[in-house]
Amino acid sequence: MADLNALLIQLFAGLSRGMVLFLLSAGLSLIFGVMNILNFAHATFWLLAGYITVTIYAYLADTFAPGFLLLVPAVLGATAIMVALGLLIERVLIRRMYDRELPEQLLLTFALVLILGDVIKLIWGVQNRRIFVPVTPMQAFGVFINPYYFFLIGAGFAVAIGLWLFLHRTKYGRIVRAAVYNREMVNALGIRIPMIYAGVFAAGVGIAAFAGGIFSPLLPMALGNDIDIIVQCFAVVVIGGFGSILGTFVASLLVGIVYSFSILIWPDGALAMIFLIVIAVLIWRPWGLFGTELRS
Amino acid sequence: MTNDVTEKNLWSIYNTKIDRRDFVLTSLAAGAMTLSPRWVSAQASTPYRIGLLLPSTGAGANYMAEAIRGLPVLAADINKKGGLLGKHPIEFIYRDTQTKPDTGAREARQLILNEKVHAIFGTYSSAVALAVQEIIHEHKVLHFAATSNSSSITTENHTPYTYEWCPDSDMQSGAVVVAVAKLIKARKWKKFVSIGQDYEWGRQTHKGFIAGLSKAAPEAKEVKQLWFKLGETDFTSYIAAIMSARPDFVYPAIAGKDNQTFIQQAQAAGLLKITAYPGGLISVTELRQQRKSLPRGLIGLARCPFFAHMDQPLMQKYVKMHRGKFGADFYPDDWACMYYDALTGLDQAVTRAKSTETGALLKVLKGATYDTCRGKRKFRELTNQLDCPSYVGEVWDSPDYPFPIYNPKTMIVVEGHEVWRDDEAVKKKLKHRT
Repeated sequence: MADLNALLIQLFAGLSRGMVLFLLSAGLSLIFGVMNILNFAHATFWLLAGYITVTIYAYLADTFAPGFLLLVPAVLGATAIMVALGLLIERVLIRRMYDRELPEQLLLTFALVLILGDVIKLIWGVQNRRIFVPVTPMQAFGVFINPYYFFLIGAGFAVAIGLWLFLHRTKYGRIVRAAVYNREMVNALGIRIPMIYAGVFAAGVGIAAFAGGIFSPLLPMALGNDIDIIVQCFAVVVIGGFGSILGTFVASLLVGIVYSFSILIWPDGALAMIFLIVIAVLIWRPWGLFGTELRS
Repeated sequence: MTNDVTEKNLWSIYNTKIDRRDFVLTSLAAGAMTLSPRWVSAQASTPYRIGLLLPSTGAGANYMAEAIRGLPVLAADINKKGGLLGKHPIEFIYRDTQTKPDTGAREARQLILNEKVHAIFGTYSSAVALAVQEIIHEHKVLHFAATSNSSSITTENHTPYTYEWCPDSDMQSGAVVVAVAKLIKARKWKKFVSIGQDYEWGRQTHKGFIAGLSKAAPEAKEVKQLWFKLGETDFTSYIAAIMSARPDFVYPAIAGKDNQTFIQQAQAAGLLKITAYPGGLISVTELRQQRKSLPRGLIGLARCPFFAHMDQPLMQKYVKMHRGKFGADFYPDDWACMYYDALTGLDQAVTRAKSTETGALLKVLKGATYDTCRGKRKFRELTNQLDCPSYVGEVWDSPDYPFPIYNPKTMIVVEGHEVWRDDEAVKKKLKHRT
């Protein structure tokens, strides 16, 4: 029974890790899928949003009684600020990169990583920032679990379903999907492609910002977090297929669960397992599990 | 409900911004203070240039902030008397290693060749220190390390130009062995899981701990080892794996923000309710920054906590100087204190040698005893490692400070020579350079 419990708790851990990865990677995949922009600064937007969340939370907690509920306006506020910043960056910088080669896009977005890193240092300094929300661990499967992970998993599913509904059940979503396949035709129909792109970029940054906000009670916001995590995001998007939200979702779960069980069974090889999957996908299906050859 | 970031007095802690501009401004101020006493010496004053190689970005930035901004202040204090020997004002030239070995090595070479520094102070990461050692040895430049503490620095990668001012990884893990062995006997612990950062320091620290514990408490068995890459952001899977092993305690070879992240997530996941977590690095940095959230009773490891040596005149001086300059809440952390010791030690060495020449300084440093904020401390002749203690204690609310410290009643202070490797073992490992 203890073994089954161990497997269940590891599965839960893998699920929550997968959702964390999905929330981080969904925007990256969306932006690339629609705009063909490989945004290396995606995790830096996530980190910046985390810092903003901590600041808003601190302000609110000084004004009102501190508590878990204050996270809601803090996260929403940070997301709104980052959406506005995303629109600005798209307008000023990214728009000029649509017809450029991939290396140039990477250079520009890597420059953004450095610039935003310095902005963080200038505003918040080098010391780690964190939100401490005391959480009472709950018992499940014979061990304790952080109940906040249920919230994270729920948020991941909500974002996945919301994105799917948006892309497949709304007019605007259909236009976005059409722009993926034939932007000239969409343009010929009188739809302003730049507006679509600006909206998609802002939405991608917004999802990253939302993720940064809801992670802040779990993770000290620290310089370098973005670089630490962006590689795993790319791994997820490569496995799932650039531009495929469903692929990103499945790949996130796959990576999270494989990683989690690897830690239980073969801890030294956990990270290697993930990149073995990446290599296998790149060899046998370079456009990813759910990507299309058109995008490749 | 408490919250670390809700207290307004904490906000000032967070607003510590260290970048090259701040450092230059502080250094200029320190330099300006050297102008007034120059008339004291009739001789032309030649500055003594020190390259300061510490990170203000990357994993080590949080720990090094106080040392980076504090060293120019201590230099200014020395410069009031004209500097070293009254005629060599100290100048710091700062470079950010970004906690990366290649960057550290490149900056070290640039400092030596272009800036003509006489000595290098740094680095934070052991991996960076090992890379920098090749450069300082090649150019025969004095190197004072006061944070990077893999035992390889003074043994496997030994160079006569490097002096280590903090307890090395063997001494630190040896101290944890002493404390944990006591707990194993008292609490009848049988099995444990190790978790560590998968790089030079983490592996060395773990190796030292296992070697020591197998002798001190062989009844405790390691049932699992977990290694994670530096900068891990999600420990859920690791925590679950630890819980599955149901250990009596977890041995952490974790430092920096990874330790903060792990404790934060382990606490929320209930791991700290069911198992002990003795020996994770909890320096004054963590005690001050996480004053509300650090679990009380958690057993931590420190390298140079000011509160353990408030009876020492040098520690009193450092605390007064640091708080006077940066605010009452800013007690110098372990890292600042150890770098202060390195600079004070340099001043003493130059006075003894009556020279700032590296060759002369090496002679007076070898096996010598120096005044530090931890009392009189001697360098081990074989390795140039300072014989200094490590501290293992329980996080405890003190009525004397605005943040928790280690409970002085239960704190274990383990001297370096009690736990470091014996001479024969060191001689086998010692690097002999040409």
